[in-house]
Amino acid sequence: MRKFVSLSLMVPVALLALTMGGCATQDGKGYGKQKVVYHINYDNPKKLKGAMRNIQNHINAVGKENLDLRVVTHGKGVTLLKIANTDPNMQQKIISLKEQGIKFNVCANTLRGKKINYKNDLHDVSEKDIVPSGVAEIAHLQAKGYSYVKP
Amino acid sequence: MSREKKFSDEFLNAFVDDQLETEEKGRAYLEIGQDEELNRRVCELRKLRELVRLSYENPPLPENGLSETVTTTRRVRFNIAAGLTLILGVMLGWLLHSSSGFYTDALAPPSQETGVSQAAPDTITVKASKTPARRPAETKLATAAPLSKPAVAPTGEQMKVLFHVSRSGKVYLKDALDEIEELLKFYNATGQRARVEVVINSDGLELVRADTSAFSKRILQLQEKYNNLTFAACRNTIDRLKRERGITAKLLPGVVVIDSGMAQIMRRQHQGWAYIEV
Repeated sequence: MRKFVSLSLMVPVALLALTMGGCATQDGKGYGKQKVVYHINYDNPKKLKGAMRNIQNHINAVGKENLDLRVVTHGKGVTLLKIANTDPNMQQKIISLKEQGIKFNVCANTLRGKKINYKNDLHDVSEKDIVPSGVAEIAHLQAKGYSYVKP
Repeated sequence: MSREKKFSDEFLNAFVDDQLETEEKGRAYLEIGQDEELNRRVCELRKLRELVRLSYENPPLPENGLSETVTTTRRVRFNIAAGLTLILGVMLGWLLHSSSGFYTDALAPPSQETGVSQAAPDTITVKASKTPARRPAETKLATAAPLSKPAVAPTGEQMKVLFHVSRSGKVYLKDALDEIEELLKFYNATGQRARVEVVINSDGLELVRADTSAFSKRILQLQEKYNNLTFAACRNTIDRLKRERGITAKLLPGVVVIDSGMAQIMRRQHQGWAYIEV
């Protein structure tokens, strides 16, 4: 009887350990899936570079297949894509991040307010990348379960 | 025990009517935000208050906040309100029975903080009503208030957004206000129900200190224009200023005081608010 009890305990425990092990190997990193929004509203080139590095590290830690990461730029933050338009170094960083599934959004209010022509002035921005309001987009994404990061 | 006394109907009336001292108001704001029952009561009082106000074409102008007259005004207003409450209560009861749509609209949101949201911004409108230039704001509120037009509640979930302001400097603070206003405008334009709370701590306190703010006028205007906007200053920061530099911070009217900015940020995120660091 006692044997039976311990056995009946052991089986589920073993199963649990197995499935947990399975999860861990499945994503390879142990963080599981993540939805994240990065908020960029500053134009300091050093900080912008740092932010891109943060994102790459984030991808490395979680795995690109597990990561739904949006970068929302507005106000001064749009400068990121302006720099990328002229600076090959920054451009390469953004191309590489995009290849790993990172999406870059731009605030329509900012484009209007600063009279920016996104086709000429910004690196690789198309209609679908433009959101009506950067801040509202960030709030909306958080309401949908995205975590907020301000690098 | 003391809580019961603190939150008598009269006290809550005073809260809704913005007749409390800043400190008292901040404390009440905080506690009401965490207590569902209180929240519901405030919500109902506010509805009644709206009804009372709507039934007047020209509400009598209240005194301009002299502290010794406050208690008497409060009492008189409370008596009037009590009388009207009775009448309106009967009407309300009848209404509630006849229209289930109204019922759900008026009482559906006893979810955590709805009551506060409505109570706190409301205090701002009362303030607005003390100045002669209040007409537009008031008409706007009257038409926007769910009570006057219960059927046209804006669709969609209510957005709840917290802005965190923790630094000083004119450029930074201007950017912050721009961001906040931009969002409020956006929600207004798209008919999205929303609440916006600006939590201010650390060096950010400069923004809402009457003696240091470069934006006092703009903040008042924003409060008048958007009744879903609240400025909340951190008590810890205020205390620290007093302790370390001997400065007694005087805050701009309408700014509420909360116990701790950081705690408020945690609470709000826990309650499903979006967080935005300016």
